[in-house]
Amino acid sequence: MRKFLPVEDLARDERFNQITMNDRMADQRTAITTDSRPSRAANRIVPSRADASDAARGLMHGIFVGEIQALEGAGRTCWDFTTGSEAPFELKLDMARQCWDEARHVEISCKLSDWMGSEIGEYAENTVLFQAACSNDPVLRLAGVNRALEGLAIDVFTTMKEFGEVAGDQYLEFAEDWMLADEVTHVKMGSDWLRKITENDPERRKKALDFQSVVDKLFSYGGTRSESQESPIGLARRFRELAGFDDQEIDVIADLSLAALEERKAAVLEAQAALN
Amino acid sequence: MADSKKPRAPFAPWDRRELPGLFSVEESARRVGAYKWCELKLFEALGGWIATVPELDVKMRLGAHCYKHAWHAELWHKRLPELREMNPDRLTVAPNEHMVRFIEALTEPEAPELTIEKLVGVYRVFIPHFISAYTFHLNNTSDITDAPTMRSLRFVLQDEFEDWRDGEMLIQSLIETPSEVDRATNHQASLEKILLAAGGITGSGTIGFNTPEHEGALI
Ligand SMILES: [Fe+2]
Ligand SMILES: [Fe+2]
Repeated sequence: MRKFLPVEDLARDERFNQITMNDRMADQRTAITTDSRPSRAANRIVPSRADASDAARGLMHGIFVGEIQALEGAGRTCWDFTTGSEAPFELKLDMARQCWDEARHVEISCKLSDWMGSEIGEYAENTVLFQAACSNDPVLRLAGVNRALEGLAIDVFTTMKEFGEVAGDQYLEFAEDWMLADEVTHVKMGSDWLRKITENDPERRKKALDFQSVVDKLFSYGGTRSESQESPIGLARRFRELAGFDDQEIDVIADLSLAALEERKAAVLEAQAALN
Repeated sequence: MADSKKPRAPFAPWDRRELPGLFSVEESARRVGAYKWCELKLFEALGGWIATVPELDVKMRLGAHCYKHAWHAELWHKRLPELREMNPDRLTVAPNEHMVRFIEALTEPEAPELTIEKLVGVYRVFIPHFISAYTFHLNNTSDITDAPTMRSLRFVLQDEFEDWRDGEMLIQSLIETPSEVDRATNHQASLEKILLAAGGITGSGTIGFNTPEHEGALI
């Protein structure tokens, strides 16, 4: 088995359809683009939205494939690096633990997708998540995956938990609550290892934080996640704090996300003007 | 109420534990180091394979099992300093070059259509050898002096038995044709031959020698 598996070689059964980020943005059924006209005052996924079930199902499928890729990424970090010289033994133990957690998240996602009435493969799979786990520096993987991507998972699960709470869906609320606990643990692993490994290597730390901010921006999905009600997904400040983010780091993500939202609104306006 | 001053034997009548054991501290540490090396190699491989198997149920099982073997490696890692090895890396080694070759052969399959080979290597070869090595250690070490190792061995063995059953059932459900039976048995045979040369996961004498002149001997 090779070290460093390219994203194109992720093994899937025939139900899955893999697409790029651009394809995904063009899919009108996904939560990201669903009715995100600038005229809309609130775009947050809440039960009162007319397309709430569709948007929640699409988001759930996105979570499902994200969990598979998180499982695969953590597994690859156990394999791709030599224990000791390239990645500490204890870091690998954490990654193995994450494998088990993500495997349970895939199981939970399958049960929830059933519950919400969607099927495996009903929506496309965006593989950009695994790409963040392909760096040849384990610290960059932890920054990009555990801190940026799983930080987003904290935001998504918090939004879905609130959705379940408001909709009176205890099954959904229960599952999201448990997954949220695991994700806080995973983000904290990322925060702790980033600090520990780069303690005396400011250059490597900067590189990792830069990578994290690139991934954060990428996963802001054109304003999909921000503190504005115009974004389908909120920013879960309290849980991010538990996971080792300080106030300043959360503010940076909040600003980045709002800027991405404004950028997207301007782009939509431009596109509409071109059509008229 | 019984007289609290009445002398009692230190070992109750139902406590038949014995002091002598087959392993010195040094030999116990050597074996534990080999266990750690093998568990480490196994959890790394399981982690790497997750992305290469298309079967969703197998993918998730490998994820769960990857953690269990990492936990075993951690238990052995923590036991080494208690066995007077303050630098656990020194004993975290393959018992011989055949075991290194075994791990190379075990982890060779990568293509998505080779799930049977991946699972056979782990669940029909490697894990049964873990079970026998751990059982030998558990049954031959001192009940009293090496109790901490025995406690870990019991936890680990419970995992190994459960994982072996999971893996065996996955293999049986994946095999659908006689030629796939051949694939499984051929791969098993080729890996077993390397382990035969290795003498088991801790090298020669992994499970002792069953001959009258060797009774109780390790080499
Ligand atoms: Fe997860
Ligand atoms: Fe996670």
